[in-house]
Amino acid sequence: MSNTNNEVLFGLYNDEVELMSAVKEAKDQHLDIMDVYTPFPVHGLDPILGLSESRLHIAGFIYGMIGTTIAFGFMTWVFTRDWPIIFGGKPYFSVPSFIPITFELTVLFACIGMVVTFYTICGMGPGVNNEVLDERITDDKFCIAFATDGMGDDEIEKLKGFFQSTGADEVNSKSLN
Amino acid sequence: MNQFTFESKEKQIFLGAIGLGVLCLILSFFMDSTPYHSRFWSNFLHNTVYFTGIGFLAIFILSAKLLAYSGWHTSFKRIWEAFSMFLIVGLVLMLVIIAGIFGHWHHLYHWADPEAVAADPIMQGKAPFLNPMVYTIFTIAIVGIWYFFAKKIRSISIAEDNEGGVLNFSFNRKMKIWGAAFLPVGGFTSAAIVWLWVMSVDAHWYSTLFAWYSTASWLVGMLALTIILLIVFKSKGYFSMVSAEHLHDLGKYLFGFSIFWTYLWFSQYMLIWYANVGEETIYFQTRIQEFPVLFYGNLVINFVLPFFILMRNDTKRKTGTLMLTSIALLFGHWLDFFQMIKPGVLHTAMESAGEHAHGFTSGFTIPGLLELGTFIGFLGLFLYYTYTRLEKAALVPQNDPYLKESIHHHV
Amino acid sequence: MSAVVSPIREPLVTGGKSYHQITEDICSPTERAPGKAWILGFMVASGLLAFGVFSILWTIYFGIGTWNLNRTIGWGWDITNFVWWVGIGHAGTLISAILLLFRQKWRTGVNRAAEAMTIFAVICAALFPGIHVGRIWVVFYFFPVPNTRGPLWVNFNSPLLWDLFAISTYFTVSLLFWYTGLVPDFATVRDRAKGFRKKIYNILSFGWTGSAKHWQRWESLSLILAGLATPLVLSVHTIVSFDFATSVIPGWHTTIFPPYFVAGAIFSGFAMVQTLMIITRKVLNLQDYITISHIESMNKVILLTGTMVGVAYLTELFIAWYSGYIYEQFAFYNRALGIYWWSYFAMMACNVLSPQVFWSKKIRRSITWTFVMSIFVNIGMWFERFVIIATTLARDYLPSSWSYYTPTWVEVGIYLGTFGIFFTFYLLFTRVAPVVAIAEIKSILKAGGDQYLEKHVEEAKKPENLEEVSH
Repeated sequence: MSNTNNEVLFGLYNDEVELMSAVKEAKDQHLDIMDVYTPFPVHGLDPILGLSESRLHIAGFIYGMIGTTIAFGFMTWVFTRDWPIIFGGKPYFSVPSFIPITFELTVLFACIGMVVTFYTICGMGPGVNNEVLDERITDDKFCIAFATDGMGDDEIEKLKGFFQSTGADEVNSKSLN
Repeated sequence: MNQFTFESKEKQIFLGAIGLGVLCLILSFFMDSTPYHSRFWSNFLHNTVYFTGIGFLAIFILSAKLLAYSGWHTSFKRIWEAFSMFLIVGLVLMLVIIAGIFGHWHHLYHWADPEAVAADPIMQGKAPFLNPMVYTIFTIAIVGIWYFFAKKIRSISIAEDNEGGVLNFSFNRKMKIWGAAFLPVGGFTSAAIVWLWVMSVDAHWYSTLFAWYSTASWLVGMLALTIILLIVFKSKGYFSMVSAEHLHDLGKYLFGFSIFWTYLWFSQYMLIWYANVGEETIYFQTRIQEFPVLFYGNLVINFVLPFFILMRNDTKRKTGTLMLTSIALLFGHWLDFFQMIKPGVLHTAMESAGEHAHGFTSGFTIPGLLELGTFIGFLGLFLYYTYTRLEKAALVPQNDPYLKESIHHHV
Repeated sequence: MSAVVSPIREPLVTGGKSYHQITEDICSPTERAPGKAWILGFMVASGLLAFGVFSILWTIYFGIGTWNLNRTIGWGWDITNFVWWVGIGHAGTLISAILLLFRQKWRTGVNRAAEAMTIFAVICAALFPGIHVGRIWVVFYFFPVPNTRGPLWVNFNSPLLWDLFAISTYFTVSLLFWYTGLVPDFATVRDRAKGFRKKIYNILSFGWTGSAKHWQRWESLSLILAGLATPLVLSVHTIVSFDFATSVIPGWHTTIFPPYFVAGAIFSGFAMVQTLMIITRKVLNLQDYITISHIESMNKVILLTGTMVGVAYLTELFIAWYSGYIYEQFAFYNRALGIYWWSYFAMMACNVLSPQVFWSKKIRRSITWTFVMSIFVNIGMWFERFVIIATTLARDYLPSSWSYYTPTWVEVGIYLGTFGIFFTFYLLFTRVAPVVAIAEIKSILKAGGDQYLEKHVEEAKKPENLEEVSH
């Protein structure tokens, strides 16, 4: 996430039900939520937040097809063009015995491709340092964050009021590097 | 709507279908180029086996779901209960085949021909299993047992409607006990039934996987028919609590088990192809050379089609694509049984009559119009019986402890 | 948000846990110094590991001649152990993938540890083909790479090569699946840790923040990986079965092998999960997350797959007779009543007969019974592979080459060594990673926590709710 915002105001909630109604409220008030952080995937949150469906599966399908083509094509090339040998009385181009390896490589390519894609688009990887707003977010707090860069005091007060009215347990601000 | 009504218009349609089926059966009895009226008899056997199997799989899956604490299927479980009632009709139809074996009216099974057995040491070796008495006793006992369990589970389920309560789990517990008992019984007996009814058509050939393979075929057929009926019923206003979520899950089953069926098909084919033992390869050799449409069509309809259509999430939720695939698969697995039964019947009948099968044989090489008509007839019979059973009980099992979960089912 | 749950269901999490309590319970074992039991276990495991390494080095130095394989019995303990470990490696991915697709919520309690077990078991399995070739320094011949043989390629028609692809794919995918599940939990550990530990867990957690978009992608990824892993699990043991079934050896060439091997693999995998879980939950105090009903559910799977394996045994026996093929008939006669009759007997007793005790609910829910049965099943499944491999090979077509086989200390040593590998890794795992998937347990808490389920029952008792469904 190439977020250039520095100042963040965030509220912590104790329960996902409170969080969901707060997000709904924020949407109704047309507040611009920077992000929502939860300790576990909260079902039903995506449509409220307006997140579009993940397209990872399409990427997975493409990676899989690449695997299929490479595996099947390579074996065909080896056994019909490069060095045809008869093994066990089978024809050079013996489709049934190419299928197991083709299947395995399809799955392998799809899985590796998707996992790599996932970490890349999420900006994650070994040694990546994403600053954490609050250490309890991975434990039991549900967080809504607003970017407050360049906001006037009245706007920030309005956000604080929003947190208060929706039952946030704590409201904090933090500046991210 | 909780009470299903079998409208007179539907009755007429199904009776018409049955009439068409009977007409086609009569025509195939007389318009037959093969000896022993094999076209008629093999059509009869083929359709009986297919639809009886669908009835069996309905009660088998219902039992499995009971044991797995499955909740989401509850809102339409009455359909499966109704399907399973067809077993009794299937048994009656099988009695016709049995009568034919004793009366030597047909030559579906080479082992039922004493002269052929006398000249064939392999069939003599199998005679303790492949003989008319075992066939009869196993058929009656096994289908009878299946029906008994189906009836029992259904009656507990209906009793729950009237006597149970939302917090009364005793009916569910009782059903679970019957379901638990049925699973191993069904697992063991279905294999024996498939060997007798279908595999023994090719009396010399054998494959250990065959029983599981045919069962998988029945299962996909059963799921396809369930989806078709649910969509039809929904359009009439029944099963309002069955939502796109339920259809999505059924669609996943259809997709998953189509792949599973393909897996079993491939395992059986690949092992036989690879080992290249003549006694085994002849089975596929015959099909590839003389029945190529069946052999490849089977794979295209039952694997390629559902795989590419149902791979996407939205096609499993849309009525149109789901209906289309289900119809194709209901037909596709009917075709699968067609290719299991017809080539063997044709060859043994021809051989026994001293003729040789060559080239196109109508009603065998590919399904002809009479075969399709017979299929429609049996489908009509199956649905007619299912509808009458549906009428006998409430559509919504209101006291099933899982009903609320099923109504609020969300993927 | 609160899902509708039938009051008939048993709780999946007991003890009225809050989210924080869950974090506390599951993370704390990684934060404490190891207990005496752990240290003792680790010493035994690494001792076995050392002996295994010694046996392997012995094999490599002196050659395969140090094993008792002979002209007829070319596969003995090595391939038996290989198939046995691969089989055990099936439960983890099965629990995570198939049970995820079938929406069996009880999987959340055991999936993490089961996946870890899968990975360690596959490592143990992969060891055997490597050393079995004898000249381990040319083991790269396995791979389709241009090499000193010139343009000669590996034999893509060989099931043994398919196996190589299957096992390595399975290992990679299981590892990715497992690790992706671990990342959010590592973040939880990171956010509780201080100092040097924090740095390590910071690297391990890949910079996880818990953003809603990340969770959405993470769930999507898990679901697709599960969808892909499901046929993969089936394919792996199927391909292992092809090693035997593509041949024309009576007793090996039978078409039911693929699904029957898969059922057997699930069977033995679940048994191993039971063995480990019963100890783990006790030692780490996780009885509220891995409850008796989890154990019962797994026992049901064991009963189911055990019976399926039983159906397959009987199918094989029946079809051997039915085939009318005398060699096939002899192979099965020899299995049951030949020189290795005792291993067939052990297999039948442990795999088919003994799981039938699980028809009793009381036994299904008894920890002692479950533990004993899980060991039985593992023994039985080892014998199944031994029966298939050694018994069949001991009686060839040629009576002049019939022989008998018993392992040497080296073969036994390598087998014990794999236990060393397995348990060393597993013990380390329980120290560094959350043994139960924290985030997943939290996400089912409101549908499976006992205090919430009680509320559901209360709800259902209200008169207006009793009415509602009848319309």
